Amino acid sequence: MNSSKVMAALGVSRRDFMRATSAIGVAFGLGVPGASKFVSKAEARETSAGGLPVLWLQAQACSGCSVSLLNSIYYATISDLAVNTLDINFHSTLSAASGDQAVSAVEKTYRQGNYVLVVEGAIPTGANGDYCTLWPGLTALKGVQRYAERASVVLAAGTCASFGGLSAAQPNITGARSVSQVLSGISVVNIPGCPMHPDWLVGTVAYILANGKLPTLDAQSRPTAFYGKTLHEQCPFLAEFNTKYGRQGHAKGQSCLDCHARTDGHVPQSRSLGLGGCLFALGCNGGRTHCDCSARKWNGGQAGTPGVSWCVEAGSPCTGCTEPTFPDGMTPFYSLNGPGVED
Amino acid sequence: MATKIVIAPLTRVEGHLDVEVTVDTVNGERQVVDARCSGAMFRGFERILVGRDPRDAVLLTQRICGVCPISHGMASSLALEGAFALTPAENGRLIRNLVLGSNYIQSHILHFYHLAAPDYINTDGILDMSPWRPHLSSPDMVTGKVASALVGNYVKALEMRRKAHQMGAIFAGHMPSTVSFAVGGATKSVKDEDVAAFRDLLTELRSFISNVMLADGETLLGLFGDYAQIGKGCGNLLAFGAFDLNSAGSSKLLSRGRYTNGALGTVDNTQIREYVSHAWYTANSGNRPPASGITEPDAAKAGAYSWIKAPRYGGVVHEVGPLARMWVNGDYRYGISVMDRIVARALETEKVANAMNDWLNQLVPGAASYTYKATPATGTGVGLTEAPRGALGHWLQISSSKLSQYQIVSPTGWNASPMDDSGQHGAIEQALIGTPVRDQQNPIELLRVVHSFDPCLSCSVHLVRPGKRAEICRVHVDAGA
Repeated sequence: MNSSKVMAALGVSRRDFMRATSAIGVAFGLGVPGASKFVSKAEARETSAGGLPVLWLQAQACSGCSVSLLNSIYYATISDLAVNTLDINFHSTLSAASGDQAVSAVEKTYRQGNYVLVVEGAIPTGANGDYCTLWPGLTALKGVQRYAERASVVLAAGTCASFGGLSAAQPNITGARSVSQVLSGISVVNIPGCPMHPDWLVGTVAYILANGKLPTLDAQSRPTAFYGKTLHEQCPFLAEFNTKYGRQGHAKGQSCLDCHARTDGHVPQSRSLGLGGCLFALGCNGGRTHCDCSARKWNGGQAGTPGVSWCVEAGSPCTGCTEPTFPDGMTPFYSLNGPGVED
Repeated sequence: MATKIVIAPLTRVEGHLDVEVTVDTVNGERQVVDARCSGAMFRGFERILVGRDPRDAVLLTQRICGVCPISHGMASSLALEGAFALTPAENGRLIRNLVLGSNYIQSHILHFYHLAAPDYINTDGILDMSPWRPHLSSPDMVTGKVASALVGNYVKALEMRRKAHQMGAIFAGHMPSTVSFAVGGATKSVKDEDVAAFRDLLTELRSFISNVMLADGETLLGLFGDYAQIGKGCGNLLAFGAFDLNSAGSSKLLSRGRYTNGALGTVDNTQIREYVSHAWYTANSGNRPPASGITEPDAAKAGAYSWIKAPRYGGVVHEVGPLARMWVNGDYRYGISVMDRIVARALETEKVANAMNDWLNQLVPGAASYTYKATPATGTGVGLTEAPRGALGHWLQISSSKLSQYQIVSPTGWNASPMDDSGQHGAIEQALIGTPVRDQQNPIELLRVVHSFDPCLSCSVHLVRPGKRAEICRVHVDAGA
């Protein structure tokens, strides 16, 4: 069955797909040419079986990034992706196959090579890796090393896979490490976030598919299209911050927290969660957190449109979840127990 | 002759689950005579929490599970409010109910269509691509027009579960986890436009649940009536209850209670003990209430086969989940089986969605959703609630204004637990035993039984046995074992 017939059967509209692919071009500043390349790949699928093969492995994961992926809509929905664009040959939450049948599908993809390996979760290295097995006889450590060998791209989905995240939080008794820390000579694209925003992953995959190369990455191997700026410098409450807390004395381009510890008395504290606005005094980590949450927002309902909310809009300080120091370097998340400033 | 069947990895569950059963001929029928469930991942979450700012637990514990983070956030908020002696603001209580309800709808739709339904539908000729190929096949699977219609609804359900998260995010900040839950209520202030946007999505979801999901549930029940006789298991049901209808939590939409040996009863959480005779923990870790739980691994323990502890209420095995909640609440008492679990889950989705409309009406835009109280130097708290897949409890202690003890008993701990000190199998193991297996190469019956519980492994595994080398290497059918 070719993909247009499948799209018809499933009610996936061709128009939606086209709109989604041009949105990808816009996000990466590609203009139309990049987007049209992506479309032509999709069109090629109608005459030849198979899209971009994907293996999605879960190690020390909570599945939160997988569930977040299911919320994708800005660039493409999960049904668009699964039907039109990707061959998701293994995903433990989605695969119809279980047991040997599932393992065979993974091995077949491995033998053929040239797939995208997505790893969700950190990799425990303690006890020879036995704190997590993909299936009996294969630890997550050995499995990630094996399946990375023949992958054309390795993506670390979420903060655990990118940097260790919650799984590597102190006391880290399992020796949890990031994907890049357990691979040598293989580069990894990090898509952090706890959970990751689906757009960050889908947009990156679309870019790679359209251009046949990796997008520009920052020093933490994150695509700069999504992680190039701090939340603080894009924050809609920046003017309020500047009025309330001032920027005098700070070098241009630096945030207050580059100069001051939150507890050094320079930063006032507040007890008033639930009022909204600038949350700097409540412990917001936006000054040292790179992501585009304030503009992109979360859980949108339409392709190419911002989502319905994000942490600070919901009155909650940024927890810094896209950074390598999350969570230990970002906690306590709130500054509520100090002398207190009643807003 | 006895045959061993190993399904590893068992997919379409949250986390890492392996199932091993022994099949033999009993009264002329091939059926499961022994069953073992085990998980395969450990992070040490309870250890991570000790020594931290108590307020952070509301956000940190949500990272235990990406399918039911909201329930962990709720259990943690309730436990901490107990320790703080603090009543949440009224808007905060309602916001938490609405966000929890949004995730119930999301999780139940995901389970029904995307995790469970593929066990019943032959998608050949409809979805001839990964991740739907390859799949197990069975002659009783739905084909033809009915299959096409169900697959169409599978795709529609992907959109609906996404919209349920979109709805929740209006008050949650984002989904699947929320930043809005906090000790004292919620950080989100309520605006008129939030209520209107939430109502639009809720209306669309209620229509889908009542007109499509319930109808598909009836279709499956009609076609697979034999599964109303399969997978009964222990027959005991336990619910902590959820969705507080007042700030004291004394009235709930889904009430607290249990059904033990054929009789309804009340729940006293001090009657819970966790046993470890068949789990890789020291004897010292066993036979303890969660409030004073200890988790010491014992790598070389003889007779152990799982790293999930075995929680029991009054020493008795209980099943948890939507069927338990609906039974205890008096909403559903037809039977206990694979199909009863599926139908009760669909009916509960409708019940919760309808109640959400009332809570939305009770919100007061502009009124406080959060109440501040300083962190106490010492305190203890218990947070009992329900994840979509069953009863969830958090037990904590605060010393010197830091967390000094944190124990979690999760729904899949109850359902997927190993044998206890009395040799009683866990709920899923009991449900598997007696299940007929027609084709050992395609043991679809086993998947149907396991999936009916909606297992969620990352919640339930406290510790994995260090140094354990799994001895079974991709054995599918091991004749004569």
